[in-house]
Order: sequence, then structure tokens, then C-alpha cells
Amino acid sequence: MTITTQRVHWDLNYDVHLGATWGRFMAGLTERKILANRCPDCSRVFVPPQAYCESCFVRTGDWLELPSEGVVEAFTVAWQSFRGGPTPPYAIAGIRLEGASTLLMHYVRGLDLSDPSNVREQLPPGTRVRAVWAEERTGQILDIAYFEKV
Amino acid sequence: MATRALIAGAGITPATSPRKQRSSSLELVQEAVWAALEHSGAAPSSLDGIVIGNIDGFEGTVLGAKHVVRRLGLGTELPVSILNTGGTTGGNLIQVAARQVRSGDRHRVLCVGGPTFFGAEDLQSAINTNSPMVVEQPLGMGAYHMGAFYPSAYAERFGATVEDFAVSAVQDHEHASRNPYAHLRNTLTVEDVVSAKPLSSPMTMAMVCPVSTSANALLVTSESGAAGLRPVPVLIRAMATSSDPYLGGGKNDFAVMENLAILARKVYQLADVRNPREEIDVVEVFSPYAPMQPMQLEALGFAPPGGGIDLIRSGATRIDGDLPVNLSGGPLCTNAGVAGELAPYVYVALQLMGDAPEVMQVPGARRGLAHGTGGTFFQFENLAILERQERA
Repeated sequence: MTITTQRVHWDLNYDVHLGATWGRFMAGLTERKILANRCPDCSRVFVPPQAYCESCFVRTGDWLELPSEGVVEAFTVAWQSFRGGPTPPYAIAGIRLEGASTLLMHYVRGLDLSDPSNVREQLPPGTRVRAVWAEERTGQILDIAYFEKV
Repeated sequence: MATRALIAGAGITPATSPRKQRSSSLELVQEAVWAALEHSGAAPSSLDGIVIGNIDGFEGTVLGAKHVVRRLGLGTELPVSILNTGGTTGGNLIQVAARQVRSGDRHRVLCVGGPTFFGAEDLQSAINTNSPMVVEQPLGMGAYHMGAFYPSAYAERFGATVEDFAVSAVQDHEHASRNPYAHLRNTLTVEDVVSAKPLSSPMTMAMVCPVSTSANALLVTSESGAAGLRPVPVLIRAMATSSDPYLGGGKNDFAVMENLAILARKVYQLADVRNPREEIDVVEVFSPYAPMQPMQLEALGFAPPGGGIDLIRSGATRIDGDLPVNLSGGPLCTNAGVAGELAPYVYVALQLMGDAPEVMQVPGARRGLAHGTGGTFFQFENLAILERQERA
């Protein structure tokens, strides 16, 4: 007999310190506000906000609130998940909020996910979606429960 | 004194599934290291450095690489550099080794690529922990979910279908069937790929890499360090890395591989490559998800935007074509983590030395391209142009 494996398990909790920029973004979510900020040099608008522009290497400047509507630019439907992940199927999308230069990644719900072959036609180019807020908001990305088609 | 960096030895172990693997990670790495030394003809005592890597949280330890080194049996005085750049660790081993050699600091540095994927009970769950915490990690994405964003956007831009995305999977498997070191060596039809279990739209399970167990090693030397070694040396003519924004949502456009295109322009300029299609003889790209491959071939200048699938369909990228791509079968057929990312460099080096397994050797290959990518939403890219150096 040969013994080939032994199971090892990690069970650890961590606290991620958000910092001033993401802290303000998360506080905004509790008030149903999607906050973004802007690079003073290239004028690009970041959501989630970031302290520095990754292209211009300068500190970002003014803050603004974005509308909670936008367009799906890329998406996938997960037919399989992973241990500890959501129950499939579910759709995840890169959403271009109006006025944003980056995409906001989030769930899109309200689609008929019974058949993989008819997913694409439900999200044609230019599909508009809007944020649906969670009843209880505690300052996390899932304070936006999901996006749904307008 | 600054010198050029060469590749002068390579070793690979056969690959199999985690379930069938009877060797430990350490034993696989030992086998690859000693195979590389035997291939090169270098004595262990002639080494003056090791570059090795691991990926946080994938092995039930964060110091896996460090633990391995002393037990390779290569001595106790070897300086060790440990890299931890997530999925790109394997490709970055050679980037670091070559710079150590080019600086004149070292002459024979061994890059060690271990199996780093086969410990996790659910690899996608482990990969989710590498997702940008707080803002993207809670959104249910493992690696292949992120990988699916590209073909989704590409399909929308260029009208590509699931059948189109299947062509590189069919070709990679055909190539892997000839590679004795490959893990999945079965051949597939387009129909097999399309009808496989859906994983993350538009990708099916047959478009996604397996979890493999294997190891490899590559000896990087200075010009003087290559003297007296057995293989025809391969010059690392040009190499570089590049990076996209941290968040997946920071990507500008999922329908093109912009980051790789920028890197390719830089590396081609360094290597004085003006017409890549004509000047490069053999290519290994890191496409663990089949739809990535045509997009990468476009970014590398081998096909126009939207033309990568036609290039593969034309037969040009087969072993008998003018631009053989992934004759190893690529990561789609063998992906062992750090070893999987070092593999493109290992296989291109062997091709240029003329030491690839005979059934997959491209006759007379002189110049090759090796590529790696990884990180969240494939944030990081690495790329090199390698050239056979005929002995005087």
C-alpha cells in the first residue's frame, strides 16, 4: 500500500484595510451613491475610485457621483462555480456606467439562464442595465445587490 | 562585465493528473533539475544561482519554493531568488535569471518550474482569493470566468462563434498528441469542443486547461558560462514584461489584447523584428483558454484584428505550416502552474537547439517567440525572442 496525499486545511480570517479612497466609495454605497473620481491630467473617471491615475502617475482630484445606469460591454455566464462561490448559473458583466472611463464588474440578474445557447441574444451590444440596491447596506460592493436590464 | 544571456539546457518531466500522480512536488522538481543538468552537461558545482517561484495560497504553504531548494541536492551555498508573481511566475523566472547573467553577476543560473496547481482541492476557489479583494473578489469569479470575458467581447466585436473558438483547441490537442511530455494527448473535433460541458460562456470545458502535475527547469548562462556545454546555445535576444491596471474593470477593451500588443512592439524593436510572420520560425503562446490564442496571435502581429481564427484555420500554425504555434500542445493540454508558465520558454529553446522530441521538431528553426501571461484578468504579460547561436 502507498499513501499518496494528506489533506491540509486553512481557516483564516483577514481584515482588509480599505484606505481613504475605497473607504469613501464604500460609505457612498450605504447611501445608494456610486462615487467616482477623476484624473486631473487625462480627465478619465475611475469607478471604483483610485488614489492615483495608473496612466499619468498623478494623484486623482475631484469626486463625482455617477448615475446608477450603464451599458454592458463584456459579460460571461458562469455555468460552474467553485467551493464557497455563488450557486450557478449566474451572469457577471463589465458595466460602463454613464460618464465612467473604467468598467464596474458586477452581477446581472433577471436573465433566462435555462439554456446556454440563448444567453447572447439577451445581452445584445448596447444593453442598458441599472443598479438594484440591497435592502441592508453595510459598505461593501454587494450593497449593489445586482444590475438588471432597464 | 555585462554579457549576453543564453539558454544552455532544459529538462521536463512527463505530466499527468493530480489523481494519478505518485510523486511529490519535490520529487518532480528534482527530476526536472537533474534532467536539465544532464541535458546541458553542466556539473551541479558549476551553478552559481537558482531562480524559483511559487504562487501564494496554491500549495497550502507560502514558502514552497524556499523549502524545495535545499533538498535539490545541489549544495548549500547557492544563492536563491524566489519569485511570486502569481500566474506569471514561471515566465518571470527566466526574465530574472537572464538579468542576473547579463549584469555579469552570475554565469550559470538554473530556473526551476515546479507544479503549483495540484495541491488545491478546488483550484478555482484558490484563484478567487487572488482576485482584487473587496471590489471584485465577491463577484463569483475564478480564473476561467475572467478568461471568458475576452471571447465574449471578441464575439461581439468580430462575430466569432463557439465553433470558431474551438479551432485552437482542436489544433492544440493535435499537437499535444505528438508531445511525449503533454498531459492531455487525446485529439478532439470541433464538435467535441462545442458540445463539451459549458463552463463560462462562451467557453466549454474543452476550451479550458487541465490541472496538471509536472516540472521543468532551464539553465541560463553567460557566454563564458555556455562554453563546454552540450546543446547548441540559444540567445535570449530580447525580453520584457508589461502590466495592465489592477482591477479587471480597468481594462479598456476586452476584445483585443492591448497589453500584449504594446509589449510585442517593444520586444520586436529590441530584437529588430520587422515582419514577425516572416522572421519567426516557431511560437509558444500561453493560452490556457482556447479563445485566447487567436487574440494573442493578433496582438503579436501575426494576423490583423479579427483574423486570428482564420490564421489557425489556414494551417499556417500547424507543424507543417510556416508559423508553427504551440507544438507542445500549450497550456490547454498541460498546465502545472509555475512549470506551465516556464514551459513556453523550455519548448522554444528545445526547438531552436534541435533537441525537441523528433516527432514535434521544426526542421531548421532559428528564431522563436515564447510568451506567458497571468494575474487577475491576465493583467501581466511576458515575452521573449530567442535565437539559435551556431557555434563557430
